[in-house]
Amino acid sequence: MTTSAAPRPAAVWVKRNLFRSPFDAVLTVVFGLLAVYVTFQLVRFVFVTARWEIIGTNLKLLMVGNWTMIHLPRIAIAMIILAVWGGSIGGLIHARQVRRGTSTLAEMSLPTRTGDLVRRFGILIATVLLLLLLTTTPGPWLMAAGAVVGAVLGRVIGGVLGRLHYPRPVAVPGALVFAAIPIAMYFYLIDAVPLAEWEGFLFNIFAAMAGIILCFPLGVLLALGRRSKMKLLRLMSTAYIEIVRGSPLFVLLLLANVSLEFFVPSSIAPSKPVRAIVTFTLFTAAYLAEIVRGGLQSIPRGQVEAARSLGLSPVTQLSRIVLPQALRNVIPAQIGQFISLFKDTTLAGLGLGILDMLAVSEAITQQPDFRGQGLIIETLAFTAFLFWVGSFTMSRESQRLERKLGVGTR
Amino acid sequence: MTTPTVTVRPPPWRNVRVLSWVFQLVVFAVVAVVFLWLYGNYEENVARTGIPTNFDFLDNPTSFEIPGNDFSQTQPVRDVLVEGFLNTLRVSVVGIVLATILGTLIGIGRLSRNWVVRRISTVYVEVVRNVPLLIILTFIFLGVVLQALPTIQEAWTPGGVAVLSNRGIGVPWYEGGSGFQLLLLAVIGLVGWWAIARWRRGVSGRTGEPSRAGLYGGGFFLAVTIGGWFAFGFGVTTPVVAGRQIAGGMRIDPSYFALLVALVVYTASHIAEIVRGSIQAVPRGQEEAARALALSPSQRMWNVVLPQAMRIAIPPLGNQYLNLIKNSSLGAGFAYFELTNVTRVTVGNGSPAVPAFTLALAIYVGLSLLTSVLVNIANRRFILVER
Amino acid sequence: MTDSEELVFADATQVADAVIELEHVDKFFGSFQALKDINLKIGLQEVVVVIGPSGSGKSTMIRCINRLEEHDAGRIAVDGIELTEDIRNIQEVRRETGMVFQQFNLFPHLSVIDNVTLAPRQVRRVPKAEAERHAMELLARVRIPEQAKKYPGQLSGGQQQRVAIARSLAMRPKVMLFDEPTSALDPEMIGEVLDVMKDLARAGMTMIVVTHEMGFAREVADRVVFMAEGEIVEVGTPEHFFTNPQEERTKLFLSQIL
Repeated sequence: MTTSAAPRPAAVWVKRNLFRSPFDAVLTVVFGLLAVYVTFQLVRFVFVTARWEIIGTNLKLLMVGNWTMIHLPRIAIAMIILAVWGGSIGGLIHARQVRRGTSTLAEMSLPTRTGDLVRRFGILIATVLLLLLLTTTPGPWLMAAGAVVGAVLGRVIGGVLGRLHYPRPVAVPGALVFAAIPIAMYFYLIDAVPLAEWEGFLFNIFAAMAGIILCFPLGVLLALGRRSKMKLLRLMSTAYIEIVRGSPLFVLLLLANVSLEFFVPSSIAPSKPVRAIVTFTLFTAAYLAEIVRGGLQSIPRGQVEAARSLGLSPVTQLSRIVLPQALRNVIPAQIGQFISLFKDTTLAGLGLGILDMLAVSEAITQQPDFRGQGLIIETLAFTAFLFWVGSFTMSRESQRLERKLGVGTR
Repeated sequence: MTTPTVTVRPPPWRNVRVLSWVFQLVVFAVVAVVFLWLYGNYEENVARTGIPTNFDFLDNPTSFEIPGNDFSQTQPVRDVLVEGFLNTLRVSVVGIVLATILGTLIGIGRLSRNWVVRRISTVYVEVVRNVPLLIILTFIFLGVVLQALPTIQEAWTPGGVAVLSNRGIGVPWYEGGSGFQLLLLAVIGLVGWWAIARWRRGVSGRTGEPSRAGLYGGGFFLAVTIGGWFAFGFGVTTPVVAGRQIAGGMRIDPSYFALLVALVVYTASHIAEIVRGSIQAVPRGQEEAARALALSPSQRMWNVVLPQAMRIAIPPLGNQYLNLIKNSSLGAGFAYFELTNVTRVTVGNGSPAVPAFTLALAIYVGLSLLTSVLVNIANRRFILVER
Repeated sequence: MTDSEELVFADATQVADAVIELEHVDKFFGSFQALKDINLKIGLQEVVVVIGPSGSGKSTMIRCINRLEEHDAGRIAVDGIELTEDIRNIQEVRRETGMVFQQFNLFPHLSVIDNVTLAPRQVRRVPKAEAERHAMELLARVRIPEQAKKYPGQLSGGQQQRVAIARSLAMRPKVMLFDEPTSALDPEMIGEVLDVMKDLARAGMTMIVVTHEMGFAREVADRVVFMAEGEIVEVGTPEHFFTNPQEERTKLFLSQIL
C-alpha cells in the first residue's frame, strides 16, 4: 500500500511547532489568541485612538528641555562633529582589524556591508525617521543629514588614517587631540547653556556618558585595590564596593540632593546635574570595579609571570600587559553597565527634580492644552520607546561583539 | 666551605617588604586626607547651618501619619522607620516569590518547542528588559491604576470575590484566627512533607517501587492545612464595596499594587534570562547521556538538567533578588511608605538629612549582605548535595 | 658514592665559574615543604637538565632562581648577585635570567616582534630600531623570521614557544631557565623546539632545563639532576646517570620512564 505524497514543508512546520501534542495545541490556541488580541489593541492604540499631538508640539521640550532657541544650532553642530568623530573611530578599528586579520567585514562587498548595517541599525534608523517626521522645522532634518554624511566621511577618514604608521612624536599628541574632541564639544555647548539647564533626553544621554567615562579611573583603581595583596588596600576597596553595591541608587541620589553641599566648601554650590553626575560616577565605579576585577581574573597567571621574569616593572606590567587584556576581555560587560546606567538616569528626575525626559513627559500632560485628558499614556509610551530603542540597539551590538570576540584572536 | 646564611639587610629604600608597606601607607594617607577634608567641610557647614548630626532624632515624634495604618503622629521616628522597613520587606518578599515563578515560566517558555509560546516569551523579555523600571512603574501607577481602574463607586467585581478600583484592590482573605496559626499549620505541613518524603524515598530505595514522595508528602500537607483550617475555625471573607471603602477581605493599597506589579514584571524578565541561560549552560552531553539511558523527558529534566541548571542559576538569581529589594525604594515616588519614603518624609519634617539617609543606607546594605550570605549558603548547599 | 660527594666533585672544578649558586635552600608552601636543603652550583656555559616525578620541586626550584617564588631559607645567588629583599638585586637577577614557560605565555595583544622588543625597550632602554634589528636576528635564529608581524594567536604551539625563546634571549641573559618547555606541545612540534634549544646549548648558553625529554638530556646535558620529594637525590653526567644510577629512587624512576 503506497502512502500519499510527502506532506508540504509548511504543513510539517505547523504540526511540529504548533500542534505536536494536545497540550501544545491548547497552548498555541490560548496564547495565540492572546497575542492577536494584544497586538490588535496595541496597533489600534498607536494608529487610531492615541493622540500624538502632545508629542509633536512638545518634541523640543522632550529632547532638549528648555534649551535656548538661538543656541539650538550648537547642538546640531556638536552632533555632526561627534558623528565624524564616531565614524573615524569605526574606521580606525576596522583598519586595525584588517591589519591583524580579524576583520569579518573586509571580505564582504559594499552592498552586503550596507545590508548588514541596515539590519543591525534598522530600528534606530526608523526611530530617527519617525522623530524627524514629527518635527515642524527643517533644522532637525539638516542635522540628521549632516550627521549621516559626517559619519560616513569619518569612517573613510578613519580607515585611511588607520592604515598608516606614525612615529611616536606624531602619534601621541595626535591621539590626545583626538580624545579631546568630545571634551571640546562639551565646552562648546556649556559655553552657550549652563549645565543646570541641560534637560530632556539630552540630559539622560549626557549624564550616562559622563558617568561611564568619569567612573573609569576610580573603577580600575578599586578593582586593582580589591585584588591587591596589601590588606589595608584590599579592605578599603572591598568596603567601598560592597557598600555602594548594596545601596539603592535612588537613595544615593536623595542623599546627594540634600547632603552633597555639606561635604564641599560653602563657596561651591553644586548644581543639580552636577550632583546627579557625581552620584552616577561614584555609583557606577563600584560596579565597574567588579567587572574589571572579573577581567583581571580572566588573564592567565602566566602572563604576569612572563612579564615579571622579563624584568618589567610593576607599572609596565599593569599598563602594557595586564590592563589592556583585562579591559578588552570584559567589553560586553562594560557595555551592559553603560546600558544600565543609561536606564538609571531616569531616576534623576524623581530623585533630584531634574527635568530629564521622563520628568518632561509627565510635566507636559499638565499643560493647559492637554491636561486632564489622560495623555500620560502617550507621553510615557513615547519616552519608553526612545529608551527601548537605545537600550535594545546597544544590547544587540554588545551581543554581536561578544560573539566576535569569542571567535577572534586569542 | 659553604658561605654563611646570614645575609646583609638591604637599605630600606630598596627593601621589597618595606616598599610594599610604604606604598600601602601612602595610599591610606591619601584616602585619609580626602576623608578629613570632606569631614572638615561637613563639620563646618553643619556648624554654620545649625543642623544636628547625631542620631537623637530617632526619639523625636514623627508628626506625620501613614495612611492605611494605625500609626500615630506621636510615636517616635524610630517606630516609623521600623514600619517603613517592614513595608519594604512586604513588597520585596512577595515580589521575589512572584517574580521567580513568572520568570521561571517565561524562561522555560523561551526554550519551548511551541513556536507561539517561544515568540511571546522572547518578545516579553526583549521588550521589558530594555525599558527603565521607573518608566514601567510610572506607567502602571499613573496610567493603569489611577486611570484604567474605575472609581470606588463603579468598582469592578469579577466573580463577586474581588474588588478592583483606583482606591485599592480587595481580595478574599482568611478570618477567624491569627495569621500565626496559619503559619504554624504551614510549617507543620512542610516538615511533615519532608519527613514523609524521606520515608517514602527510603521505602522506594529498598523495594524499588516508585516513591511517590510528592503524592504522599503533598497529601499530608493538604490534610494538615485544610484540617487545621476547619479545626481552628477559619473562614473566608470576601471584599465588598461599602460606601467609599472596601469592607471585608484584604485591601491592597494601590501604591503597593503598582509597585509590586512593576517589580514583578521587570524582575521576571531578568530572571527569565537567567533561567534560560542556566538551562542552556548545562552541557549538551548531559541531555544526550540521559537520553541514551532511556530516561523520559520529564525524568531527564527533573533528575539531570534542572539540578545542574539550578546550581548555575543561584548566584545571578541572588543578584536579581537583591536588585528587587533595592528597586523597592522607587516606591517613594508613588506614595508607598517603604523605608526610603519614610526617611524622606521625616527629613522633610525636620530630621537631619545626613544621619537619616545614612541610617537608611546602612539598613539596605545590611539587607544586601544578608541576602549575599543566604545566596552563598544556598550555593554551597547545592554543591555539597551534588557531590 | 653519595650525592654530596658528587656535588663536591663537580664543584671543585667549577667553583670559580659558578653562575648560579643554591645553598641550603628551603621553600615552604604553608606547612608543606617543597624544597629541602637544596645545594647546587652551576657553572658558566653548563647545561643542566633537571628530571624527576611531578611534585618533586623541580619547577619550584628554578622559579626561585628568578624570584617568581621566594625561598624561605638558604642562599641563592646568580652571577654573584644574591637574591634578597633588595629590589635592586631582584631586578638585576631578572635581567640576567631568561625564562621559557610550559604555557609559552606570549602576550596575545602584541605582535611577535613587539613581544620580543617590549622588554629590551622598556627595561634596558634600547632604541626601537636597534631592538627590532636584534629581534629579527633572534627570530632568524629560532627559524621563524617571516612571522614577525603576526600575532601569537595565528601561530602554532611550536612557533609560539620559539618566539618565547627569542623573547627571553632578547634581554641577553646570562642564564636561560626552561620550565618543561615542550610538555604542552603536540608531538610533531617538540622536535623543532628541542632543535632550537640544542643550538643554544652548542652556542655556549648556560641553561637549566626541567624536562621529561630524556633524549635531549642524553645528547646535550653536561649534568643531570634527579629530584624527588623536594630533595636533590642524585647528580651526574648523562653517561653515568643513565647507565649506572646509584640511588634506589633514581633507579625506580628511570625504570618507569625508560
